Amino acid sequence: MKRFLVLFREAWRDWNYIFQREMYNIFHDGALLIFFILVPLAYPILYTLIYNNETLHETPIVVVDNSKSAMSRDYLRRLDGTSEVRIAGYAADMEEAEEWVRKRDAYGVVVIPATMADDIANMKQTHVSIFVDMGGLLYYKTMLLANTEVSLQMNREIKLMRTPGLSTRADEQAVTAPIRYEQVTLFNPSSGFAQFLIPAVMVILLHQTLLLGICLSAGTERESNKLYQLLPVHEHHHGLIRIITGKGAAYFVLYLWNVVFCLGIIPHVFHLPQLSDAIDVWAIAVPFLLACIFFGMTISGLIRHRENCMMIIVFSSLPLLFLSGISWPWDSIPRFWQLFAHIFPSTHGVRAFIKLNNMGASLAEAENELLWLWGQVVVYAVTTIFTYYRGLVKIRLRFPAHKTDSAVRQ
Amino acid sequence: MRHEPVYWFCLIVAPIFCLVFFTTLMGAGLPTEMPTGIVDLDNTPTTRQIVRNLDAFEQTKIVAHYANVTEARKAVQRGEIYAYFLIPKGTTAEANMQHSPVVSFYTNNSFMVAGSLLGRDMRMMSELASGAAGRKVLRARGATDAQAMAFLQPIVIDTHPIGNPWLDYNVYLSNILVPGILGIFIFMLTVYTFGYEIKNGTGQELMSLARGSLIKAVSAKMFLPTIFFLSVGFLMIIYFYAILHFPCYGGIWRMLIVMLLYVIGCQGMGIFMFIVLPTLRLSLSFASLWGVVSFSICGMSFPVIAMDGWIQGLSLLFPLRHYYLLYVNTALNGYGLFNAWPYMAALIGFTVLPCLFARRLKNIISYMKYIP
Repeated sequence: MKRFLVLFREAWRDWNYIFQREMYNIFHDGALLIFFILVPLAYPILYTLIYNNETLHETPIVVVDNSKSAMSRDYLRRLDGTSEVRIAGYAADMEEAEEWVRKRDAYGVVVIPATMADDIANMKQTHVSIFVDMGGLLYYKTMLLANTEVSLQMNREIKLMRTPGLSTRADEQAVTAPIRYEQVTLFNPSSGFAQFLIPAVMVILLHQTLLLGICLSAGTERESNKLYQLLPVHEHHHGLIRIITGKGAAYFVLYLWNVVFCLGIIPHVFHLPQLSDAIDVWAIAVPFLLACIFFGMTISGLIRHRENCMMIIVFSSLPLLFLSGISWPWDSIPRFWQLFAHIFPSTHGVRAFIKLNNMGASLAEAENELLWLWGQVVVYAVTTIFTYYRGLVKIRLRFPAHKTDSAVRQ
Repeated sequence: MRHEPVYWFCLIVAPIFCLVFFTTLMGAGLPTEMPTGIVDLDNTPTTRQIVRNLDAFEQTKIVAHYANVTEARKAVQRGEIYAYFLIPKGTTAEANMQHSPVVSFYTNNSFMVAGSLLGRDMRMMSELASGAAGRKVLRARGATDAQAMAFLQPIVIDTHPIGNPWLDYNVYLSNILVPGILGIFIFMLTVYTFGYEIKNGTGQELMSLARGSLIKAVSAKMFLPTIFFLSVGFLMIIYFYAILHFPCYGGIWRMLIVMLLYVIGCQGMGIFMFIVLPTLRLSLSFASLWGVVSFSICGMSFPVIAMDGWIQGLSLLFPLRHYYLLYVNTALNGYGLFNAWPYMAALIGFTVLPCLFARRLKNIISYMKYIP
């Protein structure tokens, strides 16, 4: 019993030492501070500011009005009145209109046919053409939305005009819309960009900065270490579990704040959706952080120079965002890439957080993601133990255990 | 350089991985067969026909029928379906009696692409169903189909998306994402090339090898990476426009020029980053953060004109922004390069930017000590 107590106290001392040393390293290394503290603070704000206007309003367009009738003027007046587009100018013909697009003074052209008024009077269909700059799909979307809206409105009125003798509102509806429909956009009513993208970006940000920080720290350790190993030779560095949990706990504690800031404060301050309980968010944040930490500690075993990890990790942010299925739908991702996506904690972290935070789901609906995350925690914990075990064995081979305490102090 | 695996990774492996990744991930162009649910409370031959028609749309795939809205919503929250279509009880009867029933569709716009595409399909389906019901009534009154259509839809909107008529997402995204990633690597590797000299304390050696000439030293260091980055950049252009046949109305050679300007512009920006922050890890951080923000601020997904004024100004400091504008001008719209001369000038500006700080760069390379 007494022996056990001694052992426990020693382990506790070692653990504390490793934890504090890691904390000390983090706060005394500029690059680590950047990735652990500064980026998680500044990036969410920058991204939210970029996307904060949510949708495109008043896209400038140019009009070619070949009809110049009361009807075409009515159409254009209504078009100008929508929130989506703004008529920036009138062109005499298509060539002149193209000049506007060419100079980027307009992002779309609306062409009213010369026959518009006649067509309508003769009970024929008339075709309004819209040309859209496809540099961004949002131009197309707003342009189509505005024109569809106006045409539906006018179609309704034309139908009423042509059907005299309607007495009641119900009669009117039967003529104008035999079956009516309504679209309900769930969870992102304004189809805003910030609401759609920012929550996912926050999770990817936590994932990437955590990996970068862990790998940078491991790289520094290696470079400042005579033997070029992952671990220093030191009296306190000999219990495998102590080392891993000690370091891991340092990252975990640090990221508790980052989780609060990125997943809690940012959505609150910028009025992004926040439909879940804090407790539920923590229920996914904890396995997510653990999975990221162990994943990071595993790949840090492969990093030789500390700068190299930046090259590998930074660019992967974008593929990871796509692998999470937030933009290009998960069900349309080819099977191979779906399997590939399961390697990374970010995939399930993003999906689980979106479900809870944006879609107001309960933990039961995110069960699948939770299972994956906990599975990753277990798998990557094992690989981390393996990585550090190899590191320890290498050191022991050079310095037999009984000597480490006294002979090789750093 | 040959002995540094990281060089090969940044120069060749990773950019080509991304090229393959994005073009295969979105190889379909538009997502097809997205899972959709049905809540058909009416369940008549007419509504079943509507459901079958909806299923026939390319983007929609009906995967489940739900007994009520709550179940369907739960399925959306579980991520099993992206949208559902609700047909209330009595829809058919009301339509026949000309009582204008209402059908609704619910799309999950947390997944914006899936939500908006399915919304489009279901809107069109509802229009068709409404049109069919209307035609039935009008035909009963003796109208021809053409007359019926002219009555139901007097004004029709014909859309002409310039340059990308299929609204292909692969065209829309890969065209910018892959060069953007190339840009990140150019920033980082340029910074790394110089920072490594400082870190190894070989700066002075480099300068003496170049006989004290900064231009010689810099061009010697940049020569091989430039060749490789240009090759990878040109490979991208050829792969996009000659092999995948992405729209390119301005001619491939013009896009090759744009790529050339972009690559050297990014290199200039990379050297500038090193001049600002000559410590390797700090300048690498700068490079990576700048590179990652490029994607959001270049305006390819969310237009720059929708951003706040000061961010619009900031966007000009990102080479990818100019590449994107040149790409829209040249490949999509097919205008000549000189129509977009300000963006070309900007990329050339990035290239010559370090010249303004040549003296400082020389000092850094010659005298700077590495502080770990």
